[in-house]
Amino acid sequence: MHKFFILIIIGAGLLACSSVSNISLHSSLVKIDQAYSPNSRLDSLILPFKDSLAKEMNIVIGTSPINFITARPYGTMNNWFADAIFVNQTFNVRLSEPVMCLFNVGGIRSSFNKGSITVGDVFKVMPFDNELVWVKLPISAINSIETYLLKSGGEPIANANLVQGKLQLNGINSQTKFFWVITSDYLMNGGDKMDFFKQKIEVNFTNKLLRSALLEEVKKQAVLKVDSTVRVTF
Amino acid sequence: MKRRSFVKKSALVSGGLLLAGNSFAKTSFAQQKKIKVTILHTNDTHSNIEPLPANHSKFPNMGGISKRFEVIRAIRQEQEHVLLLDAGDIFQGTPYFNKYKGTLEMKLMSELGYDAATMGNHDFDAGLGGFFMASEHAKFPFLCANYDFSNTILKDKTKPYTIFKKGKYSIGVFGIGIELDGLVPASKFEQTIYLNPIKVANEVASFLKKEGCDVVICLSHLGFEYQTDKVSDRILAAQTSNIDIILGGHTHTFIEKPTEVNNSEGKPVLINQVGWGGLHLGRIDIEISTEKTLFRKQQHVKVI
Repeated sequence: MHKFFILIIIGAGLLACSSVSNISLHSSLVKIDQAYSPNSRLDSLILPFKDSLAKEMNIVIGTSPINFITARPYGTMNNWFADAIFVNQTFNVRLSEPVMCLFNVGGIRSSFNKGSITVGDVFKVMPFDNELVWVKLPISAINSIETYLLKSGGEPIANANLVQGKLQLNGINSQTKFFWVITSDYLMNGGDKMDFFKQKIEVNFTNKLLRSALLEEVKKQAVLKVDSTVRVTF
Repeated sequence: MKRRSFVKKSALVSGGLLLAGNSFAKTSFAQQKKIKVTILHTNDTHSNIEPLPANHSKFPNMGGISKRFEVIRAIRQEQEHVLLLDAGDIFQGTPYFNKYKGTLEMKLMSELGYDAATMGNHDFDAGLGGFFMASEHAKFPFLCANYDFSNTILKDKTKPYTIFKKGKYSIGVFGIGIELDGLVPASKFEQTIYLNPIKVANEVASFLKKEGCDVVICLSHLGFEYQTDKVSDRILAAQTSNIDIILGGHTHTFIEKPTEVNNSEGKPVLINQVGWGGLHLGRIDIEISTEKTLFRKQQHVKVI
């Protein structure tokens, strides 16, 4: 009798459980767009911060003819970014060794849109306070850069091309033992796992923020130069 | 509560009811009341205080924290039980961060009534000291279970988890962060010790269930998925147990419909992530049936 009891109990228990699910989830997504109005109290809280910031950021410093694209293996924004830094850093320098620019797609935080370019837009592209550095590497480091680029799928480069996975530097010859990479202190210090910078022989610190160089170049170009050259192929 | 003990307790109660020979159990099904807890979540808001500009190539005029405030306020008016959570990378991305060092983000999130957030890699961008200063303006806790800050200024500034009471139910929330080495300059995270996310998540989630949490939510900044074997939300879901929902960030993944991944015990884990910039607000309504509570109550009435 006692055994029978237990059987009934367990049977009923399973029945109760299988027919009832205790947690059910329903998900949805709210798109925050013009269908919603802003909140006036919050807006008034933001206003003093916004005004003070706007004075600095809303200054128009150039125009973009297109919507720039940041992409892998290459994109118009990748090219513009690397070229702007290359020009900024080398326009009055006589290069005795090959020099390339190398940055990371992940570090270009926004792209320029067609129309006016403000100081704020440049801050959005490069919000980090990273410093520009020149890193001297042995020619043997080219292999590890190629391996890195193959793995990452492509990064912004200037004054060099990756042709079918092979890095081709401008100004290289059979005597070349070293080359320079203009990059950020963040990447040089192993950011984004660019471990090949560990092979560095020498570093020139420029004392200039990447963002400052970009601001200078937008002002100089006035209408941003568009270069859609394919620079990276595998 | 562990499923096994739930089965056992339910069995005792319903068995008892059967023996008593009345139809109470059946009517309780018919009259079941469901309690709804609405989880609202954001990730990678990246200092986007204002809506995106009208000439933005993909999302013109979208987002803006003031509009988000209104959206959330409207939901709070409809729903009694709301939890508002963020999966990290609150800092960095607009000049607001460069100028005000994250203080405005924290103030405004507190105005919106955030209940908890976890730290993303960019929340280290002002250094530990910068985060400390900014988070003085936060009226909500930062949940970081796998960053050991004990040798840093952030000691006791964050907690591994927190438990929210919503009606009769408990919702456990904990935070899991991404490995900082190689992602954040060492000078910014100093003596922070990174702990294995899978191991820690298993421990904390199991603890929260033992504490009686009806739902366990992991706020994760690991990223949704990678082409390599790098630990992601998918891997976290598959290699742990006791997590019901993972609200993710880092990869800026826009998931139209949350993904389900079976955990190490074969139970489904819901993973969601809502892109970046506060352009969207994720919403998960959790319905918890009252039968469970009924059974729990009944077990005190010794019917057998």
